[in-house]
Amino acid sequence: MPIVMGYYDLPAQAAGVVTKLRARGFADIETYAPAPFPEVEDAVDPKPSKVRLLTLIGGLIGVWAGYAMTIWMSNNWQILVGGKPYASIPPYTIIAFELTILFAGVLTVLGLFIHGGLPNFKTSKAYSPRFSAEEFGVVVQCQDRDVAEVDALLRDFEATEVTLVEA
Amino acid sequence: MTPPPAASVAAMIRPAPRVKESATNRDILAVMDGAPIGYWLLLLLSVSLMMLAGGIWFYQVYKGLGIAGYAHPVFWGVYIVTFVFWVGIAHAGTLISAILFLFRAKWRNAINRGAEAMTVFAVLTAMQFLGIHVGRMWKSYFILPYPNQRGLWVNFKSPLLWDTFAIATYATISILFLFVGLIPDIAIARDRATGWKKVLYSALALGWQGTSGQWKSHNRSVLHLSGLATPLVLSVHSVVSWDFAVTIVPGWHTTIFAPYFVAGAIFSGFAMVLTLMIPIRRIWKLEAYITDYHFENMSRFILLTSIIVGYAYISEYFIAWYSGVEPEQTAFWLRAFGPYWISTWIMIICNGVLPQLLWFPKLRVNVPFLFVLSVFINIGMWFERYVIIISGLSREYVPAVWGVFVPSWPEMGILAGSFGFFCTFFLIFLKLFPIIAIAEMKEIAIHDKAHAAGLAAEGAH
Repeated sequence: MPIVMGYYDLPAQAAGVVTKLRARGFADIETYAPAPFPEVEDAVDPKPSKVRLLTLIGGLIGVWAGYAMTIWMSNNWQILVGGKPYASIPPYTIIAFELTILFAGVLTVLGLFIHGGLPNFKTSKAYSPRFSAEEFGVVVQCQDRDVAEVDALLRDFEATEVTLVEA
Repeated sequence: MTPPPAASVAAMIRPAPRVKESATNRDILAVMDGAPIGYWLLLLLSVSLMMLAGGIWFYQVYKGLGIAGYAHPVFWGVYIVTFVFWVGIAHAGTLISAILFLFRAKWRNAINRGAEAMTVFAVLTAMQFLGIHVGRMWKSYFILPYPNQRGLWVNFKSPLLWDTFAIATYATISILFLFVGLIPDIAIARDRATGWKKVLYSALALGWQGTSGQWKSHNRSVLHLSGLATPLVLSVHSVVSWDFAVTIVPGWHTTIFAPYFVAGAIFSGFAMVLTLMIPIRRIWKLEAYITDYHFENMSRFILLTSIIVGYAYISEYFIAWYSGVEPEQTAFWLRAFGPYWISTWIMIICNGVLPQLLWFPKLRVNVPFLFVLSVFINIGMWFERYVIIISGLSREYVPAVWGVFVPSWPEMGILAGSFGFFCTFFLIFLKLFPIIAIAEMKEIAIHDKAHAAGLAAEGAH
C-alpha cells in the first residue's frame, strides 16, 4: 500500500491534518515531531498513555516489598529490645517509601519502553533527520485510489512538501 | 473521475529541499565538537586529582583508617562530611528537573540537563565515600539485606540502613531521569553524527524517532518520574539528616534537622549549578539559552534557601539556650567560640550573610559576582557539615573524653580527589551529550514560531 508523507512547520498544522484525515476514515496515521506537542499526539490517539498503569503497579509492588521484606527479616532474625514487638512500623515506612519510589520509577521507564516501542533499531522508511530538526511529519498509509485525496488533504494544511514514501 | 495512479502523483511532487537545520540543534551540539585548550587542561587536572585520591585510598587500605585521623572520640571525619556535602549538591538537579517541571516553570529547560548530570555525578561521588569511610570497601555489601549462612539480617531500625535505601533509590531514579530526558536529544545527535559517535548514539537513542506514541509515553514518563522524584528529593536529605538527628549527640538531636538539611542541600545544589553553568555559558557562548533571567531566578532560590538555612542556624542556638539542657548549650557555645570557631564563622558568613547581597537586583544578574558567591557558598556548605559532624562528636557529654579533631592529609587528598572524580565525569558528559535539553528548548522555539505565525495570520485578515 502506498505511504504518503507531508512535512509541516507548525504543530497546529500537523494536528489539524491528522484530525481531518481521521475524520475521513484514514486510520493508519503516524506523526513525527521534534518536541512533545500534546495537540499532535492527541490527534493521533486521544487515549491517555498506558504508562500510568505500570507506575501504579510498580508503586504497589514497592510498598508491599518494603514492608514485607523488613517485617519478614525482623521476624527471621529477631532483635528483641525490652519486650517490644520485633517489627517497628515507623522506621520500616521509610524503607517502604523508598522502595515504592524505586519500583514505580523503574516500571515507569519500562512503561516508556513498552508503550513507546523502544528499543527499536529498525528505522522506518518515513523517518528523516528533518524531524530531529524543527519539522513535523504526517505519514498516511492508504489505498492506491486514495493517494490523490490524501495528497490534497495534506496540502490543504500548508504542507511545505508532500512525498510518496512508498508507492 | 478515476484518481491518478500513485506513480504520477509522485512525479508531480517537487524534489525534496535540503534539511532545514534548527539553530537550537546547531548551537547546543556545537558544545560537543572540539574543545578549547582550557577544557583539556581542566580534564587533565581532574583526572590527576582522581588518580591521586585513588593512590591515597590504596595507601589507606594498606595502612588502615588510622591515617585518616580517626581517633577517639571522632570516628566520623572528613569522609562523612564530604559524603553529606555531595549528597547535598545532588539535590538541585532533581529540584530543577522534577519540582520545577511540576510547577510548569519553563525557565528550567535551559539548566535542567546540566543540573541532572550534576546530580548523577554528585551522587556517584557521594556513594564512594561510604566505602572509603568504612575502610574495607570490599565489604560494603554487608549493608545490603542478602541471604547469608549466618542467617542474620540487617537492622532496619538503623538510620544508616535508611540511608542505604534512600541513596540507592536516589541514584537509580536520578540516572533514569537523566537518561529518559536524554533519549530524544541523543536521537538528534545520532542523526548528525558520523563514525564511532554514530554507533554510540544509535545504540543509546534506542531507535527513537519522535512518533506520537513515543512522545506520549515520554511525556507521561517524565511527569511520573517528576511526581516520584519530588517526595524522593525531600526524603533523601531528610534521611541523611536523621543519621545525625536519631542519635543523642548534643547539637545533633533536633527535629529541625530534616527541613534544615533539605534547604541547605537545595542551597548548595543551586550554588554548584551556578559554579558549573557560568563557565560553560561563557566558553561555548550559550548566552542565548542561559540568560540573565535564569541567573535571576536561581539567585532568588539561593536567597530564599539562604534565609531558611540562616533561620535554622539562629533557631538551633535559640533552642539550645531555651532548652536549658547544659550539654546542648555547651555544644553550641563551643561551636561558635570553641576550637572549631573558624569553621563555624565561615559557615555563618558564607551561607547566612553573603547571600543576603542578592537582595540587590543588580547583583542577581552580575555573572562574575554570582560565580564568586557560588564558590563561597560551596565552601560554606562543606564547612556547615564539618561543624555539625566534627564539633558534635568531639564535644559530647563528658568533658573527660573531649578531643580535638584535625583533618589529616589523606582525608584532604581524597576530598580533593572527589572534586576530581566529579569534574572528570562532568567534563566527559559535556563532550558526549547535549548539556542543554535540546528538545525542550525547541518546544519553546516552536511555540514562539506558532505564536508569531498566528499573529501574522491575524494581521493579514
